[in-house]
Parts: sequence; structure tokens; C-alpha cells
Amino acid sequence: MCSRSVPPSMREVTSMTVEEPLARLDQAAWEDLVARFGGRMWAVARALGLGPADAADAVQGAWLRMVENLDAIRDPERIGAWLVTTTRHEALRLSRRRRGEVAAGHELPDAVLPDPAAAVVDADFGRHAWQRLESLGEPCRSLLRLSVLRPEATYAQIAIRLDISPGSIGPTRARCMSRLRGLLEESA
Amino acid sequence: MRDEYLLAALRLAAGADPVPGRVGADARAAFHLRLPGGVVAAPVEVRGPAGARSGDGTRGAPEDDGPGMHRFSVAGLTIDVEAVIADGILEVAGQVSPAPGPGAAWQAEIRTSHVSKTRDLSENGRFAVGGLPTGWVSVVCHRPGEPPVSTRWLHVRS
Repeated sequence: MCSRSVPPSMREVTSMTVEEPLARLDQAAWEDLVARFGGRMWAVARALGLGPADAADAVQGAWLRMVENLDAIRDPERIGAWLVTTTRHEALRLSRRRRGEVAAGHELPDAVLPDPAAAVVDADFGRHAWQRLESLGEPCRSLLRLSVLRPEATYAQIAIRLDISPGSIGPTRARCMSRLRGLLEESA
Repeated sequence: MRDEYLLAALRLAAGADPVPGRVGADARAAFHLRLPGGVVAAPVEVRGPAGARSGDGTRGAPEDDGPGMHRFSVAGLTIDVEAVIADGILEVAGQVSPAPGPGAAWQAEIRTSHVSKTRDLSENGRFAVGGLPTGWVSVVCHRPGEPPVSTRWLHVRS
């Protein structure tokens, strides 16, 4: 990842060191992990459209996966990415169950591999992304604002708010996200 | 760059949705749910007859959480867990096999994020606990002289 995409505070996610093996973490070190990464985990669960109760379950699920994998996590320097990635897995599983979809089998490995892409889940990068988002034209600017700030809003609610057809929201949002990603890559 | 990660970064920067206090408190409390020296039993897909309280005998895939029958296995020990939600309360029953037999003093500890209850296993390995909160649950089998064996955490909410 380029240097602009990884601001200093975010590098904590990928370069944080835990001096003791994970299995020997004490209460203070654990609470430090909660303080560092709890907000990022919550933001990911909510960004996937989960309501507060389900998002709370997804985040707690990730912490419990860490509890049961303390001996198996071999790369403490990437524990932040592991926690964010695991939150995403748990949130997606909850979301699928809420939609009545049956799991396809071994979707979640015993120990989730940390996704390097999780490093962008950072407030500094978010501020940079907001600057780019505000430079988009309409309806992208308003649609993405709503996607960020009201992830649980229905297509019907968004359609009324932005005066566009509900059927066009999904494709339009995908196009707008693609444009935003393009702007971020250009500025990297 | 995944859309959800980008949206999450934007949400963090907006600061409009802070982590609820109880979410942080539960995360901090999860530290006490570690099981030093323990062994984690992985979920196993099973097809078989209905359990004592299940309906049609169908059992989910290993990753299919929720109420119903679930089997976990590791190193020759199998823990069957049946989770039922009645009036918003979680009831957990199950069986450890092979069975401990008479006088073995095996125990089953049923843990949630907030409550833990321990039961002596019957000679045939059965256990049952009611009055639990819904949400995440795990069963730990304690055997004298052996490392504790816990099921992976299972999400059970209606």
C-alpha cells in the first residue's frame, strides 16, 4: 500500500507490536487492544449495514474468536488487521443469517488470516476520503454520505431523500464507490 | 480496497457513531473467557436422528450458528450441543462422548459473555442448563487430569 494510503496513526494497525506472546497477554494489554481497535471493529460491522444489536454481536464474536485462537495467532504485529478481518467475517455471517441464507459449509476458517486491506479502517484515512467524497458530483456525494452515515437506510428511504428510483440506487452506489476509490488511488 | 472498509473509515472520521459503552465493556470482559491450556473443539457437520428436543432432526452445516443441534469434536472427544430459545431465554442441553462412566467427575461449564454455569455430567455424559442469555455461548468439558476442551463460540439468537 502506498504511503498516502497509510497515514501514521493507521500504521499502528500493521506495525503494532505485542511484546509478550498473545497467549500471555495480561488484562492491561488486552484493554489496550480494545481501546485501539474496538472503534474500527464497530465501524466495520456498522458499515456492513448491521443494526446496533447485531453489530455488537459481531464485534463480541471477533473478540471471542481471538480468545479461542490466542495460541494459534502467529503474527501479533498484525493483530489489528486480524481483529478487523474477523469482525467482517462475523458481521457477514450474521447478515446472511438475518437474510435467511444457509451457510455453505467451512466459510470461516479456524483462524482468520488478517486482510492487509483492513489497514484503511482508520480515522485519518477516513478524513482524507471525506475530502475526496466531497469533490464528487451529485448524486454520488449525497448517496455516499447517506451510505456512510445511515448504513441501515432502506432503498425506499434513500429514493425519497434523493429523488431517484429505488432500482437505480444499487448500481449508482457501486459506480459512485468506484469513482471514490479511483480518486483515492489517484491521490495516493 | 473493500467498500465496507472504506465506508468504515469514513464512519470513523465522521465520529457520528461511537462504540456503545456496553460493547466496549463486553470486549474488555472477554479477557476473562480465555481458557489457558485448553483445547478448542471444531464444529463438525452431522446428519442424524433428532435430538431430545429438536424438531425434524436436521442439523446445520458447521458454520450455521443459531438454535438447533451442533456437534464439536477434537482429539477423540465429541460434544453435542442443542440450543433452544424459549421466551427469549437460552436453554442448552447436550452430551459428551465417549461418556465419562460412573464416578468420573467430569463437568460441563456452559459459558456466555456474561453468565457461566457448571453442571456435573451424568454417567452417560448428558448435561442441561437453562436461564441463559441469548447470544454467544460455549461449552467447556472439564476432566480431571486432562486439559479442558471447549466448543467454538456459537451464536444463538432468535
